[in-house]
Amino acid sequence: MAYDYHAVHALDGTIGAIAERRANHLAVHRATAMAMVLASPGRVPEAAGILVANGDFEVRFSGPGEWLVLSEVHAPETLAAELGVRLGDAAFVIDQSHGRVALTLTGPDAARILANGVAVDLHADSFPVGRAANVLCHHISVNLARTSAQSFDLVVMRSFAEALVDDIKVMARSHDLSVDFATR
Amino acid sequence: MTAYRLPAGGLIDRSHTLAFSFDGKSLSGHAGDTLASALLANDRLLVGRSFKYHRPRGIVTAGPSEPNALVTVGSGVRRDPNTKATVAELYDGLVATSQNRWPSLAFDIGAVNGLMARFLSAGFYYKTFMWPAAFWEKVYEPLIRRAAGLGRTDLSPDPDSYEKSWAHCDLLVVGSGPAGLAAALVAARSGLRVILAEQDFALGGTLLSETTRLDGEAPYIFARRVLDELQNSPNVTLLPRTTVFGWYDDNVFGALERVQKHGAAVDAVKPVERLWRIVAKHAILASGAEERPLVFGGNDRPGVMTASAAATYANRFGVAAGKAVAIFTNGASGYRTARDLAAQGIGIAALIDSRPDAAEAAPAGVRLIRGGSIIDTRGGAGLRGIVADRGGFEDLIACDAVAMSGGWSPVIHLACQRGGRPVWSDALQAFLAPDVGAGLVPAGAAAGQYRLSACFEDGARKAADIVEALGRQAAGFQAPVVGEEPDPSFTALWHVPGAKSKAFVDFQNDVHLGDLGLAVREGFGHVEHAKRYTTGGMATDQGKLGNINAIGILAAMRGVSPAEVGTTTFRPFYTPVSFGALAGTSVGGHAMPVRRSPLHGWAARNGATFIEAGLWYRSSWFAKGEEKTWRESVDREVRSVRENAGLCDVSTLGKIEVFGPDAAEFLNRLYCNPLLKLPVGKARYGLMLREDGMVFDDGTVSRLGEAHFLITTTTAMAGGVLSHMEFAAQVLWPQLRVRFLSVSDQWAQMSIAGPKARVILQSIVEDDISHAAFPFLAAREVRLKGNLKGRLFRISFSGELAYELAVPAGYGEAVADALMRAGLPHGMCAYGVEALNVLRIEKGHVTHAELDGRVTPDDAGLGHMMGTGKADFIGKRLSNRFGLTAADRAQLVGLKALEADQEMRAGAHLLKDGAKPSTINDQGWVSSACFSPTLRMPIALAFLKSGRERYGEKIVVWDRLRGVETMAEVCHPVFVDPDNSKLTA
Repeated sequence: MAYDYHAVHALDGTIGAIAERRANHLAVHRATAMAMVLASPGRVPEAAGILVANGDFEVRFSGPGEWLVLSEVHAPETLAAELGVRLGDAAFVIDQSHGRVALTLTGPDAARILANGVAVDLHADSFPVGRAANVLCHHISVNLARTSAQSFDLVVMRSFAEALVDDIKVMARSHDLSVDFATR
Repeated sequence: MTAYRLPAGGLIDRSHTLAFSFDGKSLSGHAGDTLASALLANDRLLVGRSFKYHRPRGIVTAGPSEPNALVTVGSGVRRDPNTKATVAELYDGLVATSQNRWPSLAFDIGAVNGLMARFLSAGFYYKTFMWPAAFWEKVYEPLIRRAAGLGRTDLSPDPDSYEKSWAHCDLLVVGSGPAGLAAALVAARSGLRVILAEQDFALGGTLLSETTRLDGEAPYIFARRVLDELQNSPNVTLLPRTTVFGWYDDNVFGALERVQKHGAAVDAVKPVERLWRIVAKHAILASGAEERPLVFGGNDRPGVMTASAAATYANRFGVAAGKAVAIFTNGASGYRTARDLAAQGIGIAALIDSRPDAAEAAPAGVRLIRGGSIIDTRGGAGLRGIVADRGGFEDLIACDAVAMSGGWSPVIHLACQRGGRPVWSDALQAFLAPDVGAGLVPAGAAAGQYRLSACFEDGARKAADIVEALGRQAAGFQAPVVGEEPDPSFTALWHVPGAKSKAFVDFQNDVHLGDLGLAVREGFGHVEHAKRYTTGGMATDQGKLGNINAIGILAAMRGVSPAEVGTTTFRPFYTPVSFGALAGTSVGGHAMPVRRSPLHGWAARNGATFIEAGLWYRSSWFAKGEEKTWRESVDREVRSVRENAGLCDVSTLGKIEVFGPDAAEFLNRLYCNPLLKLPVGKARYGLMLREDGMVFDDGTVSRLGEAHFLITTTTAMAGGVLSHMEFAAQVLWPQLRVRFLSVSDQWAQMSIAGPKARVILQSIVEDDISHAAFPFLAAREVRLKGNLKGRLFRISFSGELAYELAVPAGYGEAVADALMRAGLPHGMCAYGVEALNVLRIEKGHVTHAELDGRVTPDDAGLGHMMGTGKADFIGKRLSNRFGLTAADRAQLVGLKALEADQEMRAGAHLLKDGAKPSTINDQGWVSSACFSPTLRMPIALAFLKSGRERYGEKIVVWDRLRGVETMAEVCHPVFVDPDNSKLTA
């Protein structure tokens, strides 16, 4: 008997094919490696100093002394190990590659669409590129980060991913939105 | 009366004619009309019947305080009752219907109530419909509701959709009149993020109906210039058709935008209404002032309206309220209206000033009566004349409209919604907004500044103050040169003495002068009592128009100042908001999110029937072959687990990883049982208590490393336990070095239970999981064949040899499939939460059906778990309370039905054999019940007084809800394998 396990994405079977991308687009990432980093008590600055985004991964604020680290370079299996080596006992690292789903909302109306569910001020002056926050989108908890003037990353718990995408479709119903898996 | 469209003038587009209907009659108006102005232009002033007496009523105002002109707009399922015609924007194809009349507006049978008026005085229903008490709900109230009440809603599902949006700004300006425009302009030029909200469909406020010239031009031209600049400022959002209805904590404002209420066609991808939550650093309340009606005899006859309304209809909408308008005023405003109407060529029957001496002069040719009043009106459903009184001489004056001006009240509603009480000003004879801090500042007429020049100055200055408070440089604003303005003063006149017929104070609720007198005489003189007693100030207008006069009248009757009477409480909403807008998109499938287990697809492929469990959909049972009822499937699944093996999705359990040198100590304080000595690689059952000593939640604690734990919670309490832990870590014991994270979604977790569990599991696990290598309660990482890492726990809820295997969520389905294939030759089945429930009842394991918040560990038979030797843990102190240790507390027992076909139900009460079925004789309750395929009889878990001493007793299970009584035998709650030999096999 062969044991070759294939991973199933939380949104497999829920997203239909699209003919073309619309003005606003929600991309669902298939295989983003993700890990949560919790600074060891009393060692927040030290952990923050080690956790500097370096092109291999991105670091998002997720709470005092807590970060969400994402990587398109590392495999889910290796990101946590890599971070563990870097951080030593300055932080605890927990693989969340299967626990979260990463989405990217891009387009001229991205901030306006999000304002239909998110209470945080997303004006570029208040929420500039690189800023991240744990927010509620309607009833669902999301780590929201601005990645460019017209682009936001949303990282959501896996079990809520389908409900969140359904909500975003409704939030964007008058804003010309397409949804698809990211090509990468 | 004979209202008509003026030959020229107004801000309407006369080249654009709109067809609409009222009560089935086709009429026409112009773009820029409100429904009210178009009705007036068609000489339709009778627009409704009053609430109680069904008196004919006409349009009184030209704005959102309208008490009378409430109509139903739309038809069928798209029907909005109680729409104020005075703010409803006219559109082509609008269908409006009058309300509260039968069979027709002109002939209304309910008007007989008017003849019965002496029996229908204030508070009449409290007195009349008191006996018999049972009649109130069944007879009186439905009757009153049918006879009174306003519009009726359609009860079919709303075909339209709504939306809720957040907005953020430095400055929210409420109102786009002179003060609002000046404020918005200063803030916009200074670079603030500005939102300007206006309830009207046209921006400009009173500048749209004002005739005093600004910079030598009509005021609307000035307004248009300012609006153009604002429109072109990227930092400004203009929100017309948006009513700011509420002011909430943290300077959040609620506002309702009518997105698609001004057209017959509805674009389905857009909401019809949008509810804004506006987070504003600062807000300026530029909501203007409301003109007061005068309380004189017959003041509710159609044709009587406020003077400012008559002027607005003439100036903004090009409509004359009548051919001969009598003006009744207590101040300068009536003279201004006289000039405005005269300028439009509208006839003025007389100008009656209640003040004996006044400096103002009436327009040339207008008959002026100083020190006079109106004491009655003549006519039927339309006004034909008034009875004027001067010094006891009555004079019948023919007229077809009355424009009344009782002075002005600043609109301060929003500023008083968070506890601040209005402050009486003797100088202005009005209530002003209290000082509610820098977050919300009234400006212009809302602050008692009635002159145009003062409004511009006040709005600009208050905006500049805010700009500077935000650390910026305030830009300049060149106020326009304001033409000749009348002195805005007036002499308060709360009611006109000598009324010859009913003088209404609150038009909408049919409250007249006499009702207030009755309220005071009967001891309901307090303003809040008077409101409830008379209903004055209730319903859709909430006394916007009438309350001030009611307060003045109460003050006069009690011989005190209005300051002492005070106002009733202001609350959101300023104007009614539809439920649809409040719900937004949170309807139907979007009312709450659905959580999907990572094994959802696997369960669906295996034929699961799902059940809602909180936000989750859990697999309930897996029907096979010929099985027709859920019981058949569940019985088979239970037997399969007891005899062979079964696989169940337990991914929904909460999973929290805990790290840190003090993690063990932290958990030791959270759980009531000792955990410090839990060895690495082992799991233990754990019980958390609340501070009051009751069980909070249960689960397992596994030690994965010296300073690394994984705990599980029940599905229902996953969130609650996590926040409990956050509270404990942040507030109770911040000194403990501990970190934790919910990892619930990272893992797909499956329970493999049954005598053949090990052999099946071993076939896919690389590591040795023999009893010696992986004994009961072992917990550690394992490697599956195919090089996949998982976590394995040898724990059992079913009482069988059992494991829980966790793998990264994405691999869950693949691993479950592999296990099912491996289990096939061993007779393994998929089982759902129904079978899981039967298995745990048979084993006497508790869930939240037992741990319902009233149960101590000892009640649940878990008293031995209490770590009484521990220095402290949450719940320890209060566990020793008298009553929690009493010997007759209800204790967990098992019940076996005496007859195999007599099922028991959870919720049933327990009675001593022979006791009368009554809760007085209550001995306990059934918490969980099922048919046990293993024992082949109905069994139950129950709580029974001193239950553990009563094994063997025959007891009555009394199900009052279903009217069933069954006999059962009390027994030990563990029905299956009481010595746990299966667990350690």
